[in-house]
Amino acid sequence: MKQRAVRGLLLIMAVVTASSRLSAQEEMKSPLLSPAWIVLQAVPGVSRTVLPAETHTALEWEVMPLIYSFGMNKNVSPWHVLFATPPERFAGSIELLCSAQFYPAALGDSHWGFSGQLLAHIPLIERGEYLGLNFGAARYEISGTPTTCVVCGAWTLFGFLHYNLKRSIDRDLWMHSIEFRFF
Amino acid sequence: MNIFMRTYILFFVLAGIFFGCSSFPLGFLTKSIRTLGGPIDSVRNKITEPVLPDVPLSVLWIGHATCLIQIHDRVFITDPLLTKTAGMLSQRIVEPGIDPALLTRVDAVLISHLHFDHLSYGSLDMLPKNGVLLLPLGGLEYVPNFSFADICEMKSYSSYTVRGATVTAVPANHFSGRYGFDALWMGSTGFTGYIIEYRGMTVYFAGDTKYDPEMFKEIGKKFKIDVALLPIAPVEPSSIMRRVHMDPAQAVQAMDDLHARVMIPIHYRTLRQGSDSSATFAQDLLKKIIKEKKIENRVYILTIGERKVFEEGFKK
Repeated sequence: MKQRAVRGLLLIMAVVTASSRLSAQEEMKSPLLSPAWIVLQAVPGVSRTVLPAETHTALEWEVMPLIYSFGMNKNVSPWHVLFATPPERFAGSIELLCSAQFYPAALGDSHWGFSGQLLAHIPLIERGEYLGLNFGAARYEISGTPTTCVVCGAWTLFGFLHYNLKRSIDRDLWMHSIEFRFF
Repeated sequence: MNIFMRTYILFFVLAGIFFGCSSFPLGFLTKSIRTLGGPIDSVRNKITEPVLPDVPLSVLWIGHATCLIQIHDRVFITDPLLTKTAGMLSQRIVEPGIDPALLTRVDAVLISHLHFDHLSYGSLDMLPKNGVLLLPLGGLEYVPNFSFADICEMKSYSSYTVRGATVTAVPANHFSGRYGFDALWMGSTGFTGYIIEYRGMTVYFAGDTKYDPEMFKEIGKKFKIDVALLPIAPVEPSSIMRRVHMDPAQAVQAMDDLHARVMIPIHYRTLRQGSDSSATFAQDLLKKIIKEKKIENRVYILTIGERKVFEEGFKK
């Protein structure tokens, strides 16, 4: 059952990617095949996880499986998989995001944390290119312990620099992060 | 501090060095940031009637690459930059040459490429939306919904007809992307020039381009250009700028390659560009060339906010 769901999701992602980039295929390289894009995705953000008795720093890598851009012009597909231009995010969008955290000093038994996040991006100034807000929910699994967080944050500098604050609703846990979003 | 955090910080330090801490880009950036919030020169005697009742051809230079072109009853605007800053960090030196609120109709908005000084979201918000927004190939994914009557990406030599006027995209030779990194995968897409043809008048808007004699000669063969709007800055450092921009001498040569009747210089005086010693550096160079070549009747240097009207007879 799980395998079918994963296959189905991969198929949908492939179709959406192909259709959204079809018009520019002849003359523009797909960014997903560009080594530069791949290197940029490897740049992590920094997050601080604040627990009642301790604070931990982590490096956090994000990947965007799917985004729905509702702020763009009508001649481009609102759906994008893995890659979106900054305006497709900051001009108004709902984004599915997955992340992996690496805690250099182990938190509990593990160095790793993972999350799935659903975020809405709302533009404030210059269609979001100068300033915007995001809010949403995140499900984190840190060192094997799951927790659900509410997320709110802001971005600036053409959507590259994000600050997010996350508050767990079921544990005494705060998380704040500085993220660099390169496409 | 552990090894991971040290590595992380080292990455940004190295990236900073790689992207030009030692040379021109960082110097230009710090100069731009330092001047943010500084004074902006005002335009005296601003035109209050940007669109005339009927005129064979007029060009009103609003500043930088922004021109309001009127051919009879059709109105076009090129690369509208009407905001205080371009891309958050570069403040303009002189205010826009018109009050955009006076524009009630623009048939076509022509965007030559995606850089902040040519595709300005705040400026597009200020314009009437009853015309078409034309973009270079690859541009659609960079444009939020401004609700223009139509929006269209243009391949080289493809045409769009708007209320009887034909706008054709023509090649340019510049560099792509908007945010730096995207130039790495956009290749030769994302920049263009335009030819506007209506009722026997032909205007060429070069956008931003380097000097490419073969390209200009080819465009000149295909179109009989009356007025060419050609960029003349930034000039310095010439070893970098000549790869993507034209200096005044090259622009004059381009006018000849194009067999254009006259040229109007653009893309100077409005923002701090390159390492040009003053905002009028390119203009001063151009004035010298005009004098040397005795081409006063072919090159019209406008001040920001000034309009040049070409009467029917100017083609004779």
